[in-house]
Amino acid sequence: MLRFIGHRLLIAIPTILLISVFVFLLQKLLPGDPVLALAGEDRNPEMLAFLREKYHLNDPIYVQYFNWIWNALQGDLGISLRTNQPVTTLIAQKLPVTIQLAVMALFFAVIIGIPAGILSAYKKGTWIDWVANIVALSGLSIPNFWLGIMMILLVSVNLGWLPASGYQPFTDDPLQSLKTMMMPAFVLGTGLAATLMRHTRSAMLGVLQSDYVRTARAKGLGERSVVVKHALRNALVPVVTVVTLLFGELLAGAVLTEQIFTIPGFGKLVVDAVFNRDYAVVQGIVLCTAIAFILMNILSDALYRVLNPKMSDQ
Amino acid sequence: MTEAPLLDVAGLSIRIDGTARDLVSDLSFTLNKGETLCIVGESGCGKSLTALALMGLLATPPLRVTGGTARFRGDDLLTLPPAQMRKLRGDRIGMIFQEPMTSLNPALKIGDQIAEAVRRHTELSEADARAHALEMLRRVRIPAPETRLDVYPHNLSGGMRQRVMIAIALANTPDLVLADEPTTALDVTIQAQVLELMRNLQRDTGTAMILITHDLGVVAEMADHVAVMYAGQMVETGPVAAIFDDPQHPYTIGLMSSMPGLDGGSDRLVTIPGVVPPARDMPGGCRFAARCPFADAQCAQVPPTTSAAGNTSHRVACWKAPLEQQEDAA
Repeated sequence: MLRFIGHRLLIAIPTILLISVFVFLLQKLLPGDPVLALAGEDRNPEMLAFLREKYHLNDPIYVQYFNWIWNALQGDLGISLRTNQPVTTLIAQKLPVTIQLAVMALFFAVIIGIPAGILSAYKKGTWIDWVANIVALSGLSIPNFWLGIMMILLVSVNLGWLPASGYQPFTDDPLQSLKTMMMPAFVLGTGLAATLMRHTRSAMLGVLQSDYVRTARAKGLGERSVVVKHALRNALVPVVTVVTLLFGELLAGAVLTEQIFTIPGFGKLVVDAVFNRDYAVVQGIVLCTAIAFILMNILSDALYRVLNPKMSDQ
Repeated sequence: MTEAPLLDVAGLSIRIDGTARDLVSDLSFTLNKGETLCIVGESGCGKSLTALALMGLLATPPLRVTGGTARFRGDDLLTLPPAQMRKLRGDRIGMIFQEPMTSLNPALKIGDQIAEAVRRHTELSEADARAHALEMLRRVRIPAPETRLDVYPHNLSGGMRQRVMIAIALANTPDLVLADEPTTALDVTIQAQVLELMRNLQRDTGTAMILITHDLGVVAEMADHVAVMYAGQMVETGPVAAIFDDPQHPYTIGLMSSMPGLDGGSDRLVTIPGVVPPARDMPGGCRFAARCPFADAQCAQVPPTTSAAGNTSHRVACWKAPLEQQEDAA
């Protein structure tokens, strides 16, 4: 297993380098000039020339790239043109927020989506299946921003149970932190729960028809054991892949949800950076997101091997 | 002294929801302790459905038992509540399925899959159940059983997997084993080994067996009694010698003559003309009438009654039986 993971990490290196090239070039191809954005109203040519020189924007493009990647390898992703803070610092500030939101959202998605999927597959064609499917379809169809606003109105404004917005670092006050993050995580989680429910349902439907589930019943096992021990274990293989990929997606930030609940996460950071043509920040975030995605892919493959003994022999 | 039969099936009928006629119709047979009954017939004649119905594993809906009883040690298997049925399944009745490649759980170790069946029905500790699983692997002649306890099904060949299935089915020394085409998916040489293993184990444990097959060679090898099924009906039943030497039903006769013999003079295989009627559209009279060379108007309209042919346990469901008289008359 360790060898497998090591191998996959090695293969990931060229992928990450390739992504870094694309990210860099894409930025250069985008319309808009960071110097103009930075200079604001004060656009005298000397000022612009000075800024270009300061940020090495006059160098050939490959020199700019090598400078950037060389620094990035040493943990320096440049300075934000907007706030003058190091990009690494910005990311380090926002990443825990986004990770907490992602973990909590995934928690809601898993505890809602997987049991609902199991139940609707097991009770296929009954009213339970119908209800689960309708709820799942609603979960997929209701936009997060609308659900978010409705939740704020109901839970915060009318009932006053949870704060409507804001963020409390987990390390400062864990309970308050969980409370503030509860609603946005739930809003994000319900959409994902619907996806998970559909995947779990279809995987379970296939497995429940299988010969080995019939064998389990022929042993006289109870339904709980048949479903949990024999069916679920096999049905989880594809579902785990989906969960890890969803986690990768969540790490890229949930722009709308973060905006509604004013959470200072990745999503907000990247949107601000794009609007301000803050090249260094956008590059840094995209690179981090890409790496997170690749790591999640490797994790997903590793889990697949753990759950599927047939794979771990190879 | 005549003991009551271990299993007494009377009038078993199975239907698909929404169809007019029973898929398996009015099936009756008995099985004594330690005996082997072979149920023979072509694919789709309802053999497997019969076994699944006895196990309470019929996929309901759309399949449903519509009538009959199946007395097993005083209980009616067809009406027993699910909880009690679960106590019998895997304990007093074991089942071996046709597909060894897919019948074992790919995510669980062999030893655990056997031990699980033991622990479900006994008070054995985990370690004792594991020891029993090892003993079962030894009894089904799996080489190096100690090392096989902790392997997954995909590490074993089809024949080995079927031995594991047999080990699971026999783990609690059941009174009855239902074997649904247990050797059909295996290579011919492996088939012979597995059959011999099953026969030896059966002799050692005194387990009765219902062996479902379409292979008359298997029947000749294994059976005490034979039940021939056609399109969901039992057309003929009797001791194996009577069925092979003196088949009475035109379908049984057709089956016997379609079996290629080593000494066979003819080059071409003999076939029965026509096809089995579709499951959703069973004919009303004798279901074999459309393919039967002796059939007349009565056969096509009225289901035949069962009559004794020769000795008492040899019975045939045919208006034209016994056939010798017909042939003489023609």
